[in-house]
Amino acid sequence: MSGGIDAGMVTGGWNFVIAAYAVTFSVLFIYGVSIVTRLREERSRTTEEANRQ
Amino acid sequence: MKTAFPAILLAIGAYFGFVVAVGQFHGMPGLALGLPSGLIATLAAGCGVAGAIWFLFANDHVDSWRPPQILIGLALLCLGFGSYYGLFVAPPEQFMGEVQRIMYVHVPTAWNALLAMTLAFACAVIFLFNGDFKWDSRMEGAIETGVVLAFLLCCQGAIWAKPTWGVWWDWDPRLTTTAVLLFAFLGILALRKFVEDPARRAIWSAVATIIAYVDVPIVYFSVRWWNSLHQQQSNPGTVSKQFWLPLRLNAFGILFLMVAFIMLRARIASLRLKQEMAPPMAEIAELGEAV
Amino acid sequence: MLAAALRKELLLQWKTRTQMMAVFVFGATSLLLFSFAVGPNSEALRLYSAGFLWLGLLLSSTLTLAESFQAEMENRALEGLLLLPSDVRALYYGKAIANWFQLALLGVGLVPVMVVLYDAGTTDLLRLLAVILLGTAGLSAPGTLYAAMTSQARAKQTLLPLLLFPLIVPALLASVKATSLVILGDPMKQLPSWISLLTAFDAIYWSLCGLLYHHVVEE
Repeated sequence: MSGGIDAGMVTGGWNFVIAAYAVTFSVLFIYGVSIVTRLREERSRTTEEANRQ
Repeated sequence: MKTAFPAILLAIGAYFGFVVAVGQFHGMPGLALGLPSGLIATLAAGCGVAGAIWFLFANDHVDSWRPPQILIGLALLCLGFGSYYGLFVAPPEQFMGEVQRIMYVHVPTAWNALLAMTLAFACAVIFLFNGDFKWDSRMEGAIETGVVLAFLLCCQGAIWAKPTWGVWWDWDPRLTTTAVLLFAFLGILALRKFVEDPARRAIWSAVATIIAYVDVPIVYFSVRWWNSLHQQQSNPGTVSKQFWLPLRLNAFGILFLMVAFIMLRARIASLRLKQEMAPPMAEIAELGEAV
Repeated sequence: MLAAALRKELLLQWKTRTQMMAVFVFGATSLLLFSFAVGPNSEALRLYSAGFLWLGLLLSSTLTLAESFQAEMENRALEGLLLLPSDVRALYYGKAIANWFQLALLGVGLVPVMVVLYDAGTTDLLRLLAVILLGTAGLSAPGTLYAAMTSQARAKQTLLPLLLFPLIVPALLASVKATSLVILGDPMKQLPSWISLLTAFDAIYWSLCGLLYHHVVEE
């Protein structure tokens, strides 16, 4: 595993940095997409109900 | 789109939040208008948060995609520049090396997670007082977004801890409190799924939110104390020398994203509520026709 | 009013004391299982005995708390109670105190089991009792509120622990730490601070839950 502690200093942690940023942005992206999808579903369901009445 | 006042507040917040910092970084100290840095930070946070929340309340029950689009656009801009500064411009830290850069997303996520939970608490209290279901929808949005941010916080914390302390979880009081908070609010989401009556669901989850939120400082202090008796080394969760610029940019970026998410999620909740509380006219009409 | 509510609760508990015995056996069995999880390592068992005791107590509490609303759920007794011209808060505190009593009794009952299985004896019985009383009070207050909620909802058995467990983390931490200090010794005099944490937790939640209770049971 890259990254270790070398005389009191953490070396070579780029993998972890990339992992952290990747996790952050992918989670936010996936959540955002899921919200927009759910909202679209809800809205189309509401207009369907309204049209039926 | 009722956005004049909140937009002004947001602009002020953004100015003090990162425009000043960008200016200082690029050699334009005059932008700070001679104000002390503490005041700048307070103005940035205060105006930014107030403006964002005001914008949220003004537009979450409006049926337009424009406000969330604007928010997401601004968020991507802020996060883009913030990450650029954080990853490529900020110098590596003295002891933590490159791993320090994780703080430039971790700290903004932490601020916003706490903000989301506080918003949920406020909506819960307001709902119990005035019974307006708009607040219940907002609370649901805030809780779900808060859960996502808290989960993210735990992931980032683990990724930070491994190279720093050698273990994935080091019982840092802040992170441990976040984990407890995550489970508590997941429980509240579960409660909402299992109660069918909308009125009961709203009241009960509001009560549970208040109880869980009041617990947060208690959990924090008890874990901090519990941990301090075991830890030999001091635990600098945020490191001494931080580069404020990427921090502020990312903080605003995640703030805008969070507000957009809460806005949209609150709309989903309101639409579902409307369906639940509406009389089932369609079914009765169909039955009538069948007979 | 409170006295009447309390009397009714204690009477109910006396009538269902065989269930109480069953919960005690459940608690004792969990203590046994914990020792199997650790292995025949008497030092480790003694070191963590306080943790096992409180975990066993916590797991048992999900049973007793849920049961405490059984009577109200049958024949819609809850609505009948609410029709009485009485303060809902008295009903809450009556039930919370009765649950507290039951949990404390359970805790005291499990102490000999702990002493035998983990070699975790102590002569400081008064302090141990104090910790058990304060800790179970911390479980009872929010537990009663959540039991009232979940007994009226679906998936009640999963919801109660799901809601309660994250909430009582400070009480659990403090109780385990305090009990551990009583059993293993307290050279640095840390016990009073943990006791104050427990007391603060109890004070906050006994008042907050009492305030919020009427939202949970009224229509």
